[in-house]
Amino acid sequence: MTRFAYAALFAAVLATPGLAQDFAEGSNANSWGLFGEEKARFTAQVVDVICELSGDCPADCGGGDRQLALLRDADQALVLPLKNGQPVFSGAAADLLPYCNKAVEVDGLLVGDPDDTPVKFYQVQLIRETGAEEWAKANLFTRAWAEEFPDAAAEKGPWFRKDPRVSALIGERGYLGLGLEVDEAFIEDWFAE
Amino acid sequence: MRRILIATAAAGMLSAGLALPGAAAEGRTVTVTGETVDTWCYFSGVMGGPDVVTGSAHHTCALWCAAGGIPVGLLADDGTMYMVLKLGEESDAAGGDGFLLVASHELTAQGTLYERDGINYIIVSEVLVDDGITNLTHEEYGVIPGFAIPEPKEE
Repeated sequence: MTRFAYAALFAAVLATPGLAQDFAEGSNANSWGLFGEEKARFTAQVVDVICELSGDCPADCGGGDRQLALLRDADQALVLPLKNGQPVFSGAAADLLPYCNKAVEVDGLLVGDPDDTPVKFYQVQLIRETGAEEWAKANLFTRAWAEEFPDAAAEKGPWFRKDPRVSALIGERGYLGLGLEVDEAFIEDWFAE
Repeated sequence: MRRILIATAAAGMLSAGLALPGAAAEGRTVTVTGETVDTWCYFSGVMGGPDVVTGSAHHTCALWCAAGGIPVGLLADDGTMYMVLKLGEESDAAGGDGFLLVASHELTAQGTLYERDGINYIIVSEVLVDDGITNLTHEEYGVIPGFAIPEPKEE
């Protein structure tokens, strides 16, 4: 490999989100003990990913029907949040939507094992519009879910046990997704003893 | 076995990183065969390594994560991950029913690929083949997480 090629590779690594820069300064994010976890607080613009990539840009960032991302000010990297700050199974779209196309500051975790992935993804724990004093916790998913499924929300238990769509699919295909007969045999063995 | 290959990673860095940050990517039509996966559990390690959070062992959790709006990925047979931004006619890419219906399934999908900052994004125009769940990881790992299946109540 020529010197130029090595230089190009080094430049590429530096341009890759989460690898070259340290965004931990000033972060108050909680550690979750995740793969390659790094605290990261930075300013960015909230963008609709499809819009950013393809130019298909509804005014409201899709109104909750699209994945949203953070176009980081420091390096213009498109940082993709996979998770909000709630304990389990909830994405970040509901938390980012109120800030569609706005400048924000976020605090959270960059995650991803560098042996497995060249990039890091984001878990947003706190968000505020640039210039605002108060941080908002990124915990809006369950509220949005309860508005969509009010009858299920009124029942006892965590949302994921009550989601009518999930319950219907498990009722039809089983917990393993392989049919009720396979499920029955597995469950008998799984809970034996 | 870790399924995201280092070579793929390096190629991703080169293909994405050498582009000017912030520059709009150009899409190209691709056909991808792979398993739909829950990307948070896959990349974060919150429930263990990548192999235990795929297939039938992780199916219920994949349903929960899809319902929760966590981005769904298409993990190709060569280990490349494609983040699915749209799936055919399904209008809701952040928790829509269409993503739940194919959770953990092996799909062959055609769509437009965009590469940006080391991440592959795909806007799927059509699912050409749906083979259902073919990765029978429950045979090796049981269910992940263990609480996915509630303990049967004694009668």
